[in-house]
Amino acid sequence: MQGKGLLTGMWVTLKEFFRKKVTEEYPDVMPDLGDRFRGGTLKLKPSKCISCGICMNACPNGSIKLTSVKDENNKRKLTTYVHDAGLCLFCNLCIDACPVKCIEWTGEFAFSGYTREDLIFDCIDLARKRGYDPVEVKEPPADGEKG
Amino acid sequence: MTDQNIFMTISAFLRSLLGPLLGNDLTDMTMYGVGLLGVIIFIFTNAVVLVLMERKVAAFMQSRLGPNRVGPWGLLQTVADTLKLLVKEDYKPREVDTWVWALGPALLFIPAIGAYAVIPFDYQAVPVDLNIGIFYFIALSSLSTLPFLMAGWGSNNKYSLIGGMRSVAQMISYEVPLIFSLIGVIMLVGSMQMSSIVEAQHRIWFVFLQPVAFLIYVIAATAETNRTPFDLVECEGEIIAGPFTEYSGMRWAMFFLAEYANLVAVSAIATTLFLGGWQPLPLPGALGDLMAFIPGWAWFAAKTYFMIFIFMWFRWTFPRFRVDQLMAFGWKVLIPLSLANILVTGVGIYLYRMAIGG
Repeated sequence: MQGKGLLTGMWVTLKEFFRKKVTEEYPDVMPDLGDRFRGGTLKLKPSKCISCGICMNACPNGSIKLTSVKDENNKRKLTTYVHDAGLCLFCNLCIDACPVKCIEWTGEFAFSGYTREDLIFDCIDLARKRGYDPVEVKEPPADGEKG
Repeated sequence: MTDQNIFMTISAFLRSLLGPLLGNDLTDMTMYGVGLLGVIIFIFTNAVVLVLMERKVAAFMQSRLGPNRVGPWGLLQTVADTLKLLVKEDYKPREVDTWVWALGPALLFIPAIGAYAVIPFDYQAVPVDLNIGIFYFIALSSLSTLPFLMAGWGSNNKYSLIGGMRSVAQMISYEVPLIFSLIGVIMLVGSMQMSSIVEAQHRIWFVFLQPVAFLIYVIAATAETNRTPFDLVECEGEIIAGPFTEYSGMRWAMFFLAEYANLVAVSAIATTLFLGGWQPLPLPGALGDLMAFIPGWAWFAAKTYFMIFIFMWFRWTFPRFRVDQLMAFGWKVLIPLSLANILVTGVGIYLYRMAIGG
């Protein structure tokens, strides 16, 4: 019948009119990115980190730089941990490589800056801002592992 | 049927207020002025509401949210748009034919306002209840062709001129089936007066007696108001905005103001002729009494906005016609169909009279 397609089309748009909208109200409501989203900077838990440097070696772009010192028990102690998100290609290799699972993605995706230096993040400092104090939290597990 | 309504109350109040001050003749003239002012306010308010409604309907049909940043639910979006258009530079290209160019959008607005003179908003609330109401509306609606051509010609731009010519071709082609579709209703009522057409639908709305005419009217009205799928006149992206390429700011807004005024007008005419105007839903018994309790102007507004929604629904569903398809559809389908409708209506009326008489 002539005009059947028109009615079909109108039915489609009418259903769409009442259906839930797919628009994300981004700055007001943060999107749900899912567990496997790779992006942002590294969320480091300095208390868990054993400063093995495997993440640094796994990174193909060399975007992770960490330094450590050996303490009196000959254990490595993390001193700096820098993630250069400007070099990072978000391949996830560092997180896969970490033997103690102390790094994960922040999931933040809207960081930007006017210079390349704005994309270099000190992860220990960020952890402190999140409420992780690497010195205080580090002591008890270190004792536990020892004993 | 109510004998009193809000319009009559207001008018009686104004008359009692002005009568002693001005005398009969001056009061009558003032009342016409008040009516005109009311219609203009009605048009502007509607345009503001409709721009927002169009964007919301468009968004909802495309699974978006539409404007929602300015005011609650984006309600003030059109106010912001209007302010922006008001302060925009009124740019006049150097080589335009000044008078023709400048008068185009202004003249376009005259038939749009004029059409409201015969629209029955409620019982006895017609600005001017002409006994040739529909004829007046038809005559005015075909007038908007000329300003489009003026805008296209005066812009001194070949694309605008072609756009204006397209507009003329389209409007002339669809004016004929539009008028023919109304003739079926006029034959049934035996009058062209708007109020008597509405009152003739006391028992049954003409959309049920004249379904084909209603369909033809809706299609032709969509074309007359230059809305998708018949928006060959404008569409900014593809054919360079048609006749209003060279306009900016408020001059440009006048085209859209007139477009929305026309949209309300054709919806109101569809309501009047086919959907029973301000008459409530003719239901039997207590339900009918309940329906009659709702005031007439509310029925009129609800039906008009229902028609507007249908036009918007068309716009955001159908893809645009090609120009040859547009012409072929108008001349080869709609006009024969509307003529056949007139014939069938005539035969039907004849047979009905025979049955009644014999």
